[in-house]
Amino acid sequence: MATRKEETASFMIRFTQKIFDGDDGAHEVQWRGNIRHVQSGTESKFLEVEEALNFIQSNLADLTKNAIVDKTPEEQKGILSKSFGIWKKVTAEAPKLVMDTLRDPMKQAEYVQEQIQDRIGSVKDEIGKKLDFDNVLGVLGRDNDKVMERLESISKELAALNSKIDQLKKSK
Amino acid sequence: MGSISSEIQSILAQIDTAQIYVQTLGNFGVTIDGLRIDAKQFGRDASLQLFQFLITSRKRQGLHKEQIIDRIWYDLDGKAGLQNFKVAHHGANKALEPNRPKGQEPSYIIRNGSLYHLELESIVVDIDLLESLIVLGNQNFHKNQNIAIEAYTKALEFDRGVYMTNRLYEDWSSEERERIQLIILNAYMSLGELQLQTLPAEAIRLAQRALQIDNTWEEAYRLQMKAYLLNGNRPMVIKTYNACEAILETEFGIDPLPETRKILEESKAK
Repeated sequence: MATRKEETASFMIRFTQKIFDGDDGAHEVQWRGNIRHVQSGTESKFLEVEEALNFIQSNLADLTKNAIVDKTPEEQKGILSKSFGIWKKVTAEAPKLVMDTLRDPMKQAEYVQEQIQDRIGSVKDEIGKKLDFDNVLGVLGRDNDKVMERLESISKELAALNSKIDQLKKSK
Repeated sequence: MGSISSEIQSILAQIDTAQIYVQTLGNFGVTIDGLRIDAKQFGRDASLQLFQFLITSRKRQGLHKEQIIDRIWYDLDGKAGLQNFKVAHHGANKALEPNRPKGQEPSYIIRNGSLYHLELESIVVDIDLLESLIVLGNQNFHKNQNIAIEAYTKALEFDRGVYMTNRLYEDWSSEERERIQLIILNAYMSLGELQLQTLPAEAIRLAQRALQIDNTWEEAYRLQMKAYLLNGNRPMVIKTYNACEAILETEFGIDPLPETRKILEESKAK
């Protein structure tokens, strides 16, 4: 069995921003990136976030491969396929989030807000499936209601904050 | 200048007055009351690791034993981790205070309840001095260039290699290494800019040092080109531009920035 050390991969990412005038006189922004896999010391430079994700994926795939050398080829195939499946989801969302954050830090707040709203939806669905609120002990129900109320209030506060910042931007 | 020079001196004097001075850049070393001990004197590597981890985490108020184990020896299970901590803690105390009487509390690795931290009044770390000098250089960059030059120069004398070279592949040391490397890289560039007009050859050397840290640092190529241009060495301006162009193409698939091309064009026009 792999030790925790063999199951861990850390990455250090550095972005360097370059703002310059393009040939047409318009301002251009370039993000130069550097990513390092801490445990092996290997490095890669990138301009697109996808390249950094490919670097991470390649190192994680190696980690998975090393951890399953003692499995049968059939088992290896299944584990690798699951590992790549999870990664596929990450690579679909992460570049958009990172690039949005780099372009507009407010996007990050909007993203968090979306996540909270998603969670409220999924928690409601999940709890709905497992518990019949009307018949569940009052204390537990009340606590969950409080959590829901709080999450909804955080979400509303974030929405209000976004709207204020939008107004500020417009008034500039 | 006298008073600020004395400010630089007082920063540097901390090396001599410290009970323990720790060199983290390049070969790791610890000087206790003027006597340098090397890594071997920590006995087990775990003892050295613990001390190096506490140095890296020195700005934190204190760390629980479990937090320390989880960061350094995360591959060990609970019991083995605790045993390793116990042995490492004993070994580190023994290396730092070989003559501590039995029963007396350690003076440098302090245990406060369940929290552990270093006694920073007695311990001076090279990167803290380097950082103080760079801060002084930055503060004087526009208002007093002589002081800034002196402060940066003294700061960069501490650059004897990367942070904790024996822990290059350890997760917990990476953040500090990256932070320090960028501070040093920027200091080379700032000092190079200040030296450009009066000592172009020195500016070239400093830019080359920056490129040893990151060979895609375009400002360093630009600084070299400007220095060669001032020296009237047009072939070297072109050669440096070509090197910059090649590395940016290889690593990022991009061209140098317009301001870099501008220096090349200036050299052609002369």
